[in-house]
Amino acid sequence: MIYLAIILGCLLGAFLGSLAPVISYTYSSYLSIAIVAALDTVFGGIASVIKGNFDLKIFLSGFFGNALLSIGLTYLGEKLNVDIYLAAIVVFVGRMFTNLAIIRRYYIDKWVSIIEKRKSKKAN
Amino acid sequence: MDNKLKIAILLGIMCLFLSAGIAIQIKTVSNSSTTVGKTLVENELRDSVLRWKQKYENAYETLETKEDELNELRDNVSSKDNNYSGLSNRLYNYNLLLGNTEVIGKGLIITLEDGDSSIIKGFATDYIVHDGDILEIVNSLKNAGAEAISVNGQRIINNTGITCAGNVILINGEKIGAPFVIRAIGAPNSLYSGVKIPGGYLELVEKGGVQVKIEQVDKETIVIPKYEGVYKFKYASIYE
Repeated sequence: MIYLAIILGCLLGAFLGSLAPVISYTYSSYLSIAIVAALDTVFGGIASVIKGNFDLKIFLSGFFGNALLSIGLTYLGEKLNVDIYLAAIVVFVGRMFTNLAIIRRYYIDKWVSIIEKRKSKKAN
Repeated sequence: MDNKLKIAILLGIMCLFLSAGIAIQIKTVSNSSTTVGKTLVENELRDSVLRWKQKYENAYETLETKEDELNELRDNVSSKDNNYSGLSNRLYNYNLLLGNTEVIGKGLIITLEDGDSSIIKGFATDYIVHDGDILEIVNSLKNAGAEAISVNGQRIINNTGITCAGNVILINGEKIGAPFVIRAIGAPNSLYSGVKIPGGYLELVEKGGVQVKIEQVDKETIVIPKYEGVYKFKYASIYE
């Protein structure tokens, strides 16, 4: 059900986004870092659902907090002429891979156990 | 179960925002040029260039639609009133004279290209097309009875200047680079012989090393665009 909601949300969002006006090129770097932060939060949410310790407050605050913080850091970096957003991207993408690994392991375990069950049924 | 539904809805909404953002970002990036600007100032400059370009295009479009409307109104008036039909004819003739209309006809197409410096020996400046070369050829075309002339899409009108501007040439205030395509409408034979006189300027240029191509067009296929600027008389007025 969660995946159904995600796919529906993605399709609707893509549709709405394609209708929305183009934003100024200056702000596109901020939007891109916010997108990476949000992606990270969504993967984190899925992983925590799998682990069973999903917390609505933490998830929501992470979604908006991370996005805003990364935008702020990008802005600061542009003022200081340091590419701080690279650090944010490294952290977010690194976490994304960790979360993806959790999700992957969970489903591989599930799959393997299903196959073993069938085998044992056949043996019986 | 209720909790799971809540989580699913929340994740769905998050994904909605996320993919909407991604779609907007993709659209923005594909609209801008592919090179990535490094500084804020550069991005802002690029932004303002895009904005002005769009504004210019919009303004030009409105200008064209207004001109069409004007023409329609003129046609209407001249068809209703006999007094105005003569005026409309005169307007047509004057516009033709001033180069305010696109024209089509037979004539001559001359292409001038810088010569290959590795083949030609001699002076380095001789195998480059200069502003003076264009000027001389346009002059000889006018002398041979050309009714309309354009160089790389710039209409030559009565106060057009052809001047040097570094490695480009300024015509009507617009920068123009090689190869230069000169189109002229007139009697093809006389235009051809006008520029191809033995010992004429074109022969001189060709000897210098410039690649010259002349095409005589006997069908009415040469299209010469209209002058895109505005005639303005600031200092001169009619003496009576």
